Amino acid sequence: MNRTHIRLIVRIWLGLMAIVGVALSASSAANAQDTGGTITVNVFNQTKDAKGVATKVAVPGVTIKVSDDTGAAITSGATDAAGEVVLKVPTQTKFNLDLDVATLPKGVVLASGQTEKAVVDFTVGAGIGANKSYNYFLGKDDRLTTGRFKLLLQTLVNGVKSSAVLAICCIGLSLIYGTTGLSNFAHGEIVTLGAIVTWLLNQEGPKLHLLLAAPFGIAASALAGMGLERGVWRPLRKRGISLTSMMIMSIGIAIAVRYVYVFMLNSKFNRAVYYRQYHAQPEWSIGPIGINERDVIVIVLSVAVILAVCYFLLRTRQGKAIRAVSDNPDLASATGINTNKIILMVWALGGGLAGLGGVMFGAAHGLQWDTGFNLLLLLFAAITVGGLGNPFGALVGAVIVGMATELWTWVFPSFLEYKNAAALGALIITLIIRPQGILGRKERLG
Amino acid sequence: MNWALIFSNGLYAAVSANAVAYMLIASGLNVHFGNTGLLNFGQAGFAAVGAYGIAIPVSQYHWNPFAAMLVILVGAVLLAVGVGLLTLRLRSDYLAIVTIAIAEIIRIFVNGDHFKWLTGGNDGLQGFTRWMENASPFSTNGVKIWAQKIDGYRLWLLVSGWILLGIIATALYLLIRSPWGRVLKGIREDEDAVRSLGKNVFAFKMQSLVLGGVVGAIGGMWLVLDKQSAQPGDFATTLTFFAYTMIILGGVAKVKGPIIGAMMFLFLFTWVDSFLREATKTSAGKKPVLPKWLITDNNYAQVKYIFAGVVLAILVAFRPQGIFGDKKEQAFDVR
Repeated sequence: MNRTHIRLIVRIWLGLMAIVGVALSASSAANAQDTGGTITVNVFNQTKDAKGVATKVAVPGVTIKVSDDTGAAITSGATDAAGEVVLKVPTQTKFNLDLDVATLPKGVVLASGQTEKAVVDFTVGAGIGANKSYNYFLGKDDRLTTGRFKLLLQTLVNGVKSSAVLAICCIGLSLIYGTTGLSNFAHGEIVTLGAIVTWLLNQEGPKLHLLLAAPFGIAASALAGMGLERGVWRPLRKRGISLTSMMIMSIGIAIAVRYVYVFMLNSKFNRAVYYRQYHAQPEWSIGPIGINERDVIVIVLSVAVILAVCYFLLRTRQGKAIRAVSDNPDLASATGINTNKIILMVWALGGGLAGLGGVMFGAAHGLQWDTGFNLLLLLFAAITVGGLGNPFGALVGAVIVGMATELWTWVFPSFLEYKNAAALGALIITLIIRPQGILGRKERLG
Repeated sequence: MNWALIFSNGLYAAVSANAVAYMLIASGLNVHFGNTGLLNFGQAGFAAVGAYGIAIPVSQYHWNPFAAMLVILVGAVLLAVGVGLLTLRLRSDYLAIVTIAIAEIIRIFVNGDHFKWLTGGNDGLQGFTRWMENASPFSTNGVKIWAQKIDGYRLWLLVSGWILLGIIATALYLLIRSPWGRVLKGIREDEDAVRSLGKNVFAFKMQSLVLGGVVGAIGGMWLVLDKQSAQPGDFATTLTFFAYTMIILGGVAKVKGPIIGAMMFLFLFTWVDSFLREATKTSAGKKPVLPKWLITDNNYAQVKYIFAGVVLAILVAFRPQGIFGDKKEQAFDVR
């Protein structure tokens, strides 16, 4: 059974529940009073068997609090054996309901799409009268029933996936910083470019298979990197412009390029777009872990590419030259290394990897005009945590940042939307403990 | 083409209450970047403290707005001290990344659903400007100057905003000229030299962060007073980068720099937008002035951002001291 099926079943379920709710509210309307009003609240636990046939069970003992518009408490009560509580309110106006989550039985939570707070307004909606009803639907707490440990395994797999994409994207950022000292804020746009060019070839125009279109996207990103180096950064370095100026320039370029993307593709990029292949794939269950073909390809490919890059940097002549320029550009050029050529190569390599990362991210999460920009801070967090300018540090940093975001969702499942803040928090904590980053060299500080 | 509207839009944008807010935010940043050489990329975070510092207490808890201003002051000082403790011992490129991270954490926090009861989440907060509307001496009908209609509330914010800006800019001018300000400049030029003179560089940097942060927070408050709504999207990193563009446009390290820079930036930004809106308008039976294959009324709105990015990049490359800046005072050699 895949995710789409489950979603469909949940939707049908909620629909049925809504009908039940309307019927219940109609029946309780008969007990209407003349002055003030009553709010009938029902709390149900919905479960389904293997065929997806649903049954509902009333949940007793759940406390519901009622407050008025200004937040002042009016009344409260606990549900009876039928899962129902009738709350009297003095006027027929607007009231806020609040379900006390602490009084829920163990193992159940509010169903998806339900919140503990609700508004009951006597002045609007169907069934205007002295009685209003509201239904809370509970669902099985999947997190608790699947077990925290099993969920941890899945979280770790997700973390590996995030880390892999981040690592691919941030090697280039780190190498560019290492060889030229530039914090390139336009790196996110290079990531987006690869994803967009691939998307154009995949969904528009020739409609190539994603695996055939991706090399063109990667090439476009590599060329963009080389173009920026030859057209912008090399001439500026020659003029002796400071690194801070170049960093702020890269911000200007990033803003301009980002809005060029929206300008050109405005009508299509209103929401996230997807590739024709590897989108919404069925999940394979391997023990407690759910994973699909795309994720396996992303992880395997990233690991292979990262190993290749490490081999290139450690064992080949060109790679050693890159590290030499990183360590000390003046000394490297004194030993006969053509620094400009090496830097151009770094831009091509870093740009191409960024493009690949963009395609991977786009395949997994869909693609928007600001996809790369949204990744950029995580990329900076990764290379800073690892130690600025050290490509191996960038890999370590990518794993830390990728794992921190996913583990955050495991530790604080109800604070999902703050997971990027968790990555940035990891950055700050690392810098307090080890200001030069994990693999960074100690330099003048303060 | 309604040229009167295009130009009056641009001119109004350059002096409006919204412009005053940007001037304050950029002035605060100028203390950090221009005067002290601190590469603060998190000015949007300080502006957000000012915005939500007035919006949350007044809108959610019906506080007296002056008590809320105290919250802003305390909040901005605390944020500055926190940022300072975290970053001032780091190298300047680390400082840039950490400040941008802190500003983003603040934005993610106010944007999140989980604290919607406090911050309004993605919907933002409204209804915290009644006191300011009541204080307005102008009739709510407002005035019409040339092609520009300005309602009474905005006119009141404009006038009071310029008075506020005048006071703050004068204070900054005197502070920067004072011995204290000269130490800041010394730190920008050569930190070690200042340290060898027995100055506590860390304390001076911290004071600079606090001063600029508080000014930036006041700017953030003015921004939401003008919008009458506090939205998390307004405090993204773009705000910080636009503030940089304004400073560099007007002249780094000068008190008048961000003020003139913001006027120029907002005039051009709004002029381009108004011009393109007019030029792509399809009225009945008439073709738009600009051809449809080039630009349409669907995508003209992006051009002003492209323009802003290009202006920032070109300025930094070719005139880093800004239009009115002094080459000797440019702060780009911060390490």
